[in-house]
Parts: sequence; C-alpha cells; structure tokens
Amino acid sequence: MNAPHSKPTVFIEAAVVEISWRDETRNLSELIFDSVRRAIDESGRGMMGITSVVLAAHDLVDGRSLSSMVTAPAAGAYLRDEIRYGDDGAAAFAAAVVRIEAGEADRSIVAAWGRASEHDVDGVSRALFDPFFGAPLGLEELHVSGLRAQSWIQAGGRCDARAHAVSRRRDAARNNPRALRDGGRSSRPSYPLSPDDLPVWADVVAAAIITSQPARVKVSGMGQSSEPFAIGDRQLAAMPGLVRAGELALREANIAAGDLDVVEVDGLSLFDEALALEALGIARKGDGLTAFASDRRINCSGGSAAGYCAPAMGLARIVEATLQLQGRAGAIQLPSARRALATGSSIVAAQTHTAVVLEGV
Amino acid sequence: MSAVAIVGVGQTPYRRSHKDLSSRELIWSAAKEALDDAGMGIDEIDLVVAGVAPDALAGEASVERSGMMGKGKPFVRVNTGGVTGSSTVFAGASYIKAGRAKAVLVFALERMGQATTSQQVFNTIFDPVYEKDFPLTTITMAALRASMLMRLYGYTDRHWAEIASRNYRNALRNPLAHLHLDVTPEDVLESPLLAWPIHRYEACPMSEGACAMVLVSKDRVRTRTPVWIQGYASTSDSYAMGDRIHRPGATLVDLLSLRLSAERAYKEAAVTDPRSEIRVVELYSAFSSAEAMAYPALGFCNAADGPRFVESQLTDPSLPVFNPSGGPQGANPVSATAMVRIAECALQVRGTAGDRQVDGVERAVATGQGGATQFSTVCVLGKDLVH
Amino acid sequence: MSQSDLITIPGHWSFDYTYFAGEAATRFFRELAENRRIMGTKCPACKRVLVPARAFCDACMERTDEWIEVGPEGTLETFTIITTAFPGLPEPPIVMAYVTLDRADTALINLVLGEDLSDIEQAAKRLNSQPRVVARFIDDPKGRITDFSFELLLQRGGV
Repeated sequence: MNAPHSKPTVFIEAAVVEISWRDETRNLSELIFDSVRRAIDESGRGMMGITSVVLAAHDLVDGRSLSSMVTAPAAGAYLRDEIRYGDDGAAAFAAAVVRIEAGEADRSIVAAWGRASEHDVDGVSRALFDPFFGAPLGLEELHVSGLRAQSWIQAGGRCDARAHAVSRRRDAARNNPRALRDGGRSSRPSYPLSPDDLPVWADVVAAAIITSQPARVKVSGMGQSSEPFAIGDRQLAAMPGLVRAGELALREANIAAGDLDVVEVDGLSLFDEALALEALGIARKGDGLTAFASDRRINCSGGSAAGYCAPAMGLARIVEATLQLQGRAGAIQLPSARRALATGSSIVAAQTHTAVVLEGV
Repeated sequence: MSAVAIVGVGQTPYRRSHKDLSSRELIWSAAKEALDDAGMGIDEIDLVVAGVAPDALAGEASVERSGMMGKGKPFVRVNTGGVTGSSTVFAGASYIKAGRAKAVLVFALERMGQATTSQQVFNTIFDPVYEKDFPLTTITMAALRASMLMRLYGYTDRHWAEIASRNYRNALRNPLAHLHLDVTPEDVLESPLLAWPIHRYEACPMSEGACAMVLVSKDRVRTRTPVWIQGYASTSDSYAMGDRIHRPGATLVDLLSLRLSAERAYKEAAVTDPRSEIRVVELYSAFSSAEAMAYPALGFCNAADGPRFVESQLTDPSLPVFNPSGGPQGANPVSATAMVRIAECALQVRGTAGDRQVDGVERAVATGQGGATQFSTVCVLGKDLVH
Repeated sequence: MSQSDLITIPGHWSFDYTYFAGEAATRFFRELAENRRIMGTKCPACKRVLVPARAFCDACMERTDEWIEVGPEGTLETFTIITTAFPGLPEPPIVMAYVTLDRADTALINLVLGEDLSDIEQAAKRLNSQPRVVARFIDDPKGRITDFSFELLLQRGGV
C-alpha cells in the first residue's frame, strides 16, 4: 500500500475478547452480542455516532450460508453500513480503519468470531484446499504448519530453546485472565509438531470500537500482503507476505522492530508464531524459537495456546495488544507498554497477512 | 481524499456451467479482460478485493484465493451474500479514497455450476433454531412479500409478468446473458406456480461466471475514459422479516434498507431528482415482484403509484430504462450479480454497451440485494466528477 | 479438447454442526411443550415485544429479559401457498404465513392449516385480507416450532 497522505488518525476506544467453550446457554448471535455490547459499554459513549460495522466470519465455521444474516444484527448492524469479510479479523480491522480514513465513517464497530465447539475444525480445514491437487491428499492447515516447521529446521532453525518456548507459551496462557480455562480441543499433531505446539481450539469472539476521535490507543501503521495461491509456490518458512506486511506497518509508524514493547503474533502453532518473529525482523533467521523462549514482549497472552478459532484471531491479537497499551491486560500486563505490533494471518495456512502497529497516546 | 473511477470492466459469459474452466481460470478471464480494458498490468494494481458468497455453492472453501494475482499484493475476501459484488467494489473504493491505494482490482466469482444441490445450500441461510422446520427459501420469502404488495398497493400477477417479460427481452440483446428467451407476459403467467403468487418465469436462473473491474484514483485516470463512482451506500436490516412488518413508517415491503442506501448514495452523488437525472437503472431483484419494492425506495414513485409506474414503463420514454442487460433474470451469478449491475451501468455510462446501449446515459444507478432483502446497496455512476 | 475429454471430479461436502439454541430459545420451546404458551420478550428501550422470544433486541442493542405471553389469537399479515413437498410437513399445497399474535410487535412464521385449497386463487383472496387466526397446538407438543400452527377464525356470517 502507498504511504498515506493527510487523513484522520484512527483510535481504538474499546477492545474485548471472550474465549469460551461450548457455552450452551448462548447461541452464536448471543455470544457475539455479549462481546460487542461489552465493547460499547467500555467505550463510555454508547452507540452514538456508530454508522459502520465491519465483521470477519466464515460461513463454514458458523455452519450456515450467509451467516451474517443472523450474526450481523448481533454485532450492531441494524440500519448501519455493515460489511462482512470472509477473512481474518485483522484484515477486517484494517478495512474498518480505512473506512474512517476515507471519511466514510467516524466511529465503527469491528468484530470477528468463530466457535470451534460448534463445527468440525479439521473437516473445514481440509475443505480449504483446492479440490484437485490439495484436498485429495487430505491436507489440513496444521499439516502445512508441520511442513513449514520442518523446512525451517532443515534450513538450520535452532531448536535448543524449544522446550523453554513451549513452557513459556503454556505459562503465558495460564496467566492470561482471558485465556480458555476449561474445555477446548486439540487436533492430532503431524511431525515435527508435538501436542505442546498446537493451538487450543476454542470459541472466540473479539470486538473493538474504533473512531476518529482521540482515545487512549492509536493506530500508527498498517500493512497487508499475500503469498501465491499454490502451496508449492510458497516459501513456507520465510513467510514473505508477513515480511512485507510488517515492513509496511513499521515504516508507516516510523518505528523499528526493536522499539516495540508488545508483540502479539498470530500463528496456528508455536512454530508458526516463532517463524513470524523472524519474518517481522524481531528475531534473526533461525532464532525464532529462541526469541520466543526468552523475549517477554512476545505473545504474553499465550497466543494460540490461549484459545484459537479462525477467523477471529488477528482481531484477538489486536485486542490483546490494545489491552496492554491501555494498562488493562491484568496479570500479564507488561510494564510501560507504549508501542505494540499485532498480526493476523488468514486461511489458507497463513496465505495473507495483516500487520498493525498501535501506540499508547 | 480521492475520487474513484472505473476504468476497466471484464465479464465472462454467464452460463449454467463453464465445464472447460477451473475457478481460477474463470477469475483470470474476467480479471485479464478488465486489466486489458484499463490498459494496465497487474503490477500497477495495489490491492485485490475478491467477492465470493456462499462457499457451498462452489464446493471450494477458499475458492477466492485461487484468484491471487501479482506478487505480494494485499488481498481480502468479502462475503455479504447477494450484495457481495457491490460490497467488494465499495471496499476497494474505500482504500482509494483513503489514499492507501491508487489502483484496485475487484472481482467476484460465482461457481454454482459445480453445485448439484444449490437450493439446499440456499436453504441453509435461514435460522436453524426457529425456521428449519419450514420451507423457508428465497422463493417462499419473495412470495410472502409479493402477497403483501398485492394487498397493500393493488399489484396483480400481471404486473409481475410484465416486469419479467421486459427483463427477458432486454437480455436478448446481451450476449453475456445466461438466458436468451423471448418470454411474453402470458408465458410467465402460464409457467408453473412455485409458491403463490410467484411463477417460475419470475425467478432467476442459476448462473455461474465472473466479473471484474479496475478502480483508480483521480490522478491515475490519465488518458482513460473514466466512469466516476459518484456515490454509494450499504445498509443492513434486522434478520427476521417478521420484525420488519410492524416497523413504524417502513413496513416489510417498503424496503427501508434500500431507501436509506439510496438517500445516502444520492446525497453523496448530488442526485436530487432521480426520476429525471437517472437514465439507466440496473436492479438486483431476484424475483420480478421484488422490483416493485425498489421503485419507491429509489425515489422513482410513491409506493401506492407503483402499479401505474410499472404500466407506464411500457409507454413513457422519459422514464429511466430498467435492466437493459436483462438484469438477474437474464443471468444471476449470485456472488457477482451486484457487481455485474455496477459493471453494466459503467458500460452504459461509457457508451460501450453494444446492442444493449441506451442513448444519452449521463448517470446510472445499480442496486444490490442480499439475504432476504436484509442487505441493500446503491451505487451511482456518472460521466462527471461530483464535488 | 472436446467436452468429453475434460476432467470433472465428483465431490460431496458433508459437515456436521451442533447449533446451540441458547437459553432464550430453549425456554421458548419449553413453554410450547409444557405450557402450550407462545412467549415473546420485551425490549426495555423500544418496548417492542419480540416473538419468538430472544435474548436481545438488535435494533437497540439491549438485552431483553422480560418475558410476555402472546396470542393465542392474532392477525395474518402475509402468506404464500407452497406447491412443492418439504420433508416432515403435510402434502402440498400448503399455506405458510406471517402472523402477528396479540400483544406481539413482530410477526412469527408458521403454517396455516384447515383451509380449502382446491381453488388456489379463491383461497389467496381470503388469506390476503389480513384475517384473524388462532394458534392450535398438537396433542403431544415436543418443544419444536411445529408444536402449533394457525387456523383462520371463522368470521361472523361466513367468508
């Protein structure tokens, strides 16, 4: 994306994430309503001036075609300009920011969700691959994570800090007040992944209120990029799409990776999260796991170990980063958190990437 | 903040199925045509926005990603059901207005030719908790509205038949249309009753195909012929049609979401008298009776005068021309249909609509409908830049 | 390459889902099964009684906790006569309609049974006059929306 010329700065007024498992007292719309309502309440300004609603959800995850018919109203869409992206929550966030920058709205709801307890996560993952070259092999996104990890190891990726990275990730999820407490499910790992590397499938709803009016956290930079369609055309370990997205976001924010206080990276597995650090220039090539194990700035929310369901996660990462900058992260609060980078990666197996730089004002 | 122009349009023909083309090839075909039309290469594109509605119709869950083009471009997918095609255009336009892109490629793909059980897919759009025990379909939903229109405003099945016939006959001049049938109003009335009062020929075919457009900022127009996107708006309503029946000031068939979108789009486009200022209207009405809700919402007549408005379409040359492409009854590639309406309007404004060209088109309006008329979009296009 | 040379691959998508109805819908269905009552919930902001009962009002973005019984009589707002068969339902032709039950502010969808449909146009004329209807429950309600259906109330002096 081109360097922006004069346009309004966008601020985040409220950020909410709820991670649960199989709460049968609430249907999907009610689950979404609860988080969006909470975000509205937290903003202290009610629905005033909200004319835009930008959503991220996937019909196959929600279990019905055009699921936004019932879910958009729960997210505040009534008689408002609402759009639903069948894409990652961070991309929806970026689109919502763009609307305000374009002067099309002053205040907007952004929400993303997915309920792993209601659908067959592995089955849907298999359906994401093309019917001719991918699906017949029974490919799932986690298999690609395995391929990615293995190609990194073969290229010299250092695994000596792996056990330490695993335990740091697990402790972080335990300490995060918002992480899943009970329930959840895991898939079966494919080599070289182990059960400890895997995401915990959960029911996730993330919501934020953004505005052109000054608030505690501002959006300083954004970047988006993608990788080729065919799996064989992609450089799995290098994640060039994330490299580019991160560069664009940091450049726009005029911040170096070393200046960040908070880093929330989206990735299905620990390896995906670790390799994301290399792509973003936060860890040197080959040192992703080492950095993950020792750098306290990174995924102190627990990342995918705290609860995961596409396509909510990019927005969940943005929410966790925002809470840090607002000083409201609770037990996992980092001291003097002023600059954050959050990323979201989409299907299929991290094919498109959104990077967002946030600053505490 | 930049103005946005359409400088390239590409469409595949719309057919029941394109057995010779993969989804990727369908997208490519439309996208290449749009890029060539714009005289641009993919490298000049800053963003790709893809519109694909229900995945289950294609049977490919991330089929839009097969449309990745160029190297490392930002790429997002929109899914807003029937309005997908227009939401996709609006999303791309926002990036240009915000200054984050100078040139955007938008495309929409409908691949329902791969589905053998489409109606069952459509039925899954309704509420699994309260509604799955009923034959709630897009057809029965439209029928419920059509009955109400007849009761409230005196429409008859003859009106629905006249509208349908007009659409089919216009499609005869559109080589891209799926159906080329010379259907008379009598043919419509004699076709089987699907759900009273809707006859089969009032409904749309199931078509597949792809549509693509190139949008640019004002400074990128250069020597190209621009079609300016003068105004656009999207409005979402409550899900339950039953909630809209007693809404004060706007009952179910008053199509409030379309009226609100029209008001906002007209305001942005500085349209003050739609009936005289708009020459061509491409309506997304999945059933001919649904057009009746659009006329008052778009400001062409009062609701009570609707039946007379339909009758005068046959005789009054000063009225806007509706669906010169044949509209959705000529071809309904669901994910793309709302973009096709915009593309067809663009061709009309530019004067490159071939045999279906209407004379003297300065401004045109395209609408989109999604869900059970829950989502409505309006897009105003014109020759001139509006300040 | 001729059409017959082109490769097509058959596919079948079959996804299983578990839809949580939630407390509000569960209570709505329980009231049908146990008490043969149709319930709505009232929005504290706009004061509308929303039927079927639900947990929040989307127009106001407010939770709706006040439960109100509606019907059993009401007004038929609009209808259609369906000509194709649907699993689990009586043979076509069959009438489906939106009915606003007394005390409700939104209409509810259900079937209308007991009408003479031998002359579709005549039946349509009758149904398209916003007639009064009453909800009739089946003998053994199960907690499904099909536990009841509507019947036209006979007008004085006949139709």
